[in-house]
Amino acid sequence: MKSNRRLIQVLIFLGVIVLGGYAIGNSLFADGGGLPRKGSKPPAFALLDADGKTHRLEDYKGKALVINFWGSFCPGCVTETPDLEAQYKKHGDKPFEIVGINLSEDRLTINNFIKQYGVSYTILQDNNRQVESAYGLKSYPTTFFVKPDGTIMDVFIGPMGEQDMDERITKLLAS
Amino acid sequence: MSAFENTKCECGHQNPTGTVLCENCGYPLDPEEESSEAPLEMRYDGIARRSQKANPNPIDRVWNFFSSVKVAVRLIVITLIAAMIGTIFTQENAFISFDPTTYYEGKYGWIGKWYYKLGFSNTYESWWFIGLLVMIGTSLVICSLDRVLPLYRALNKQQIRKHEQFLVRQKTVYTGEIEGPEDVWTDNMAKQLKRKHYKVHMEGGALLAEKNRFSRWGPYVNHIGLIIFLLAVLLRTLPGWSIDNYVTVAEGDTVKVPETKYYVKNEKFTIDYYTDAELPKELKGTARAKLYETQAILYTCAADCDDPSKEPKLTEVKRHNIIVNDPLSYNGIKAYQFGFDDTPKLKAVNPVLIDKKTGKSYGPFKLDMRNPQLNFELGPYSLELRQSYMDFALNSDGKPTTKSREPNAPAFVFLLKGPGLSDKGEPYMYFPKQNDKARFSQDVINGELAERFELKVPAMEGVEFTPVETSLNIRYDRAMPYIWVGAGISMFGLLLGSYWQHRRIWLRLDNGRVTLGAHTNKNNYGMRAEVTSALRGIGIVVEPKSLDNGRNKS
Repeated sequence: MKSNRRLIQVLIFLGVIVLGGYAIGNSLFADGGGLPRKGSKPPAFALLDADGKTHRLEDYKGKALVINFWGSFCPGCVTETPDLEAQYKKHGDKPFEIVGINLSEDRLTINNFIKQYGVSYTILQDNNRQVESAYGLKSYPTTFFVKPDGTIMDVFIGPMGEQDMDERITKLLAS
Repeated sequence: MSAFENTKCECGHQNPTGTVLCENCGYPLDPEEESSEAPLEMRYDGIARRSQKANPNPIDRVWNFFSSVKVAVRLIVITLIAAMIGTIFTQENAFISFDPTTYYEGKYGWIGKWYYKLGFSNTYESWWFIGLLVMIGTSLVICSLDRVLPLYRALNKQQIRKHEQFLVRQKTVYTGEIEGPEDVWTDNMAKQLKRKHYKVHMEGGALLAEKNRFSRWGPYVNHIGLIIFLLAVLLRTLPGWSIDNYVTVAEGDTVKVPETKYYVKNEKFTIDYYTDAELPKELKGTARAKLYETQAILYTCAADCDDPSKEPKLTEVKRHNIIVNDPLSYNGIKAYQFGFDDTPKLKAVNPVLIDKKTGKSYGPFKLDMRNPQLNFELGPYSLELRQSYMDFALNSDGKPTTKSREPNAPAFVFLLKGPGLSDKGEPYMYFPKQNDKARFSQDVINGELAERFELKVPAMEGVEFTPVETSLNIRYDRAMPYIWVGAGISMFGLLLGSYWQHRRIWLRLDNGRVTLGAHTNKNNYGMRAEVTSALRGIGIVVEPKSLDNGRNKS
């Protein structure tokens, strides 16, 4: 009887900690503006590249992945593009990919941009801001660093300097 | 609490620590109660709550905190005050996109600034509000368990013969001499009480009559309902259990509803305004909407849903004209009318190419703002679109760029080829909007070419605007049935506890003298009337008022 009572007490407290912790944790992390959190999995996407080929997030499983949201109208996105390209060339021999998701601009603008900056990494075209809103983006550029196991290592909001990029990509490749 | 507390009653029963009235005979054990003459504290029948212990350990202390009704009441009051404050200004979640850091201060001044700073702009989703709800939930469970189990045990094995002190200190009391043999008297009394639907138990010159005990469980049933309710609310935060998002659909477009397999089409959007004749004087001249209506079709995707290189195959599942408070509803998913946008945005222009020398014009051709066609053949000439800018501007290096992705100031660079032009073609810049053409000096940019050719929309009909967009609020809530069940159980418990009263009458006979005490958890007036009526049935006429113990007002 006595140990039974203790068991019930402990069970109820465990329930409160699990359920209450979940509820409070949920409300705490929801404050992050809807961006996927570090350690979570980024939302899936299926988008077309410049050649009309479909690319999906799961195609990049097992590779270190950088997802960079950009638009030609966003100066910060434009300035970081050459650095991203340099990183892509530098680590070309490793299981490493960069995916630049354009913020729902048109094909002509995207193709001109690829040509102008000599971008060799994958550029995908979002439509109607669907992927952008699934990722909860509020400002541009925003870059996600995804580990080979498919979880987010880091999220960078705003334009990255060469060093910001290098540090994170080095860490990503080591993971 | 004293180091040693004697919890053994004079009747010989050993009671748990914290007992107010002996579990057995009802004698007041609590020293304060013992020395007083006021009616007894009958809450929970004077039992010890299960958390009342001589040596509480840390877990017991937390348990004791949550088992206190005082604490529960304070938690509820704090939560209610917070919830009230949360209704003062519009909450953040009522906006689709805005900047809360400036909105509240801008609209409400310093009060708004502090409202935002203190976190009330997002009251109901804030961690502290959820925390309060979690604490109330914990308190509900612990308070109930702490009382219901001992109470159940106490009511289940009631002693029939109670201590005299217990009887004379009830709120309804009768004492008097009886005539005739004791057992005949009690039998008669038992008959009277049975007619009043009491369950009667007798034991050697003592009697216990009881009815409607179930009403004591009302509050606990109510709490079970509330706990189910809270758990159901918690369920809503699980992924896939509730959806609350917005889609903007232009007339004629079909758009995917995020997080679902559904697509929604806006066949036609209608907005009607009240005419001035229909409006009261003070509103005349303002645009007041009379009707917003989206003729919507809901589709599910049958195939190719997740492949952007193919068109999804859609099957219509529901058609509904959505107006405010009349959503489209299908399989738990609801689409509410939320808003609209009818500001004209440029969609396409149909310009012609004019050869200024001959005065001949070629075209028109259709130039879409988004995803335009790239090559146009116009008589002997050809135009090749090389570059487009949605919101033309010059960057810090003086190079052309776009400020946004909205066609606010669209600009197009064509390569013009044809007779009298260089074989490689000559670039021609075109601003479809007349004011941009002047602002960015189109003719200066085009230089000599501007004297020979011009791209121009000949008439207003050549300009196309995007249709009106409707915004729909898409909601889905799988937890709703559980919330209703919780609310229903809670309401049932409330009924049990409110419309019935647990009434008990004890009496004992000692040497020809009867001592009667009666207790009810509410409505003492009714209790006294019932006892008076039973006594009258066996020939004892008393005024209901005279049974009043005199030391209470109820």
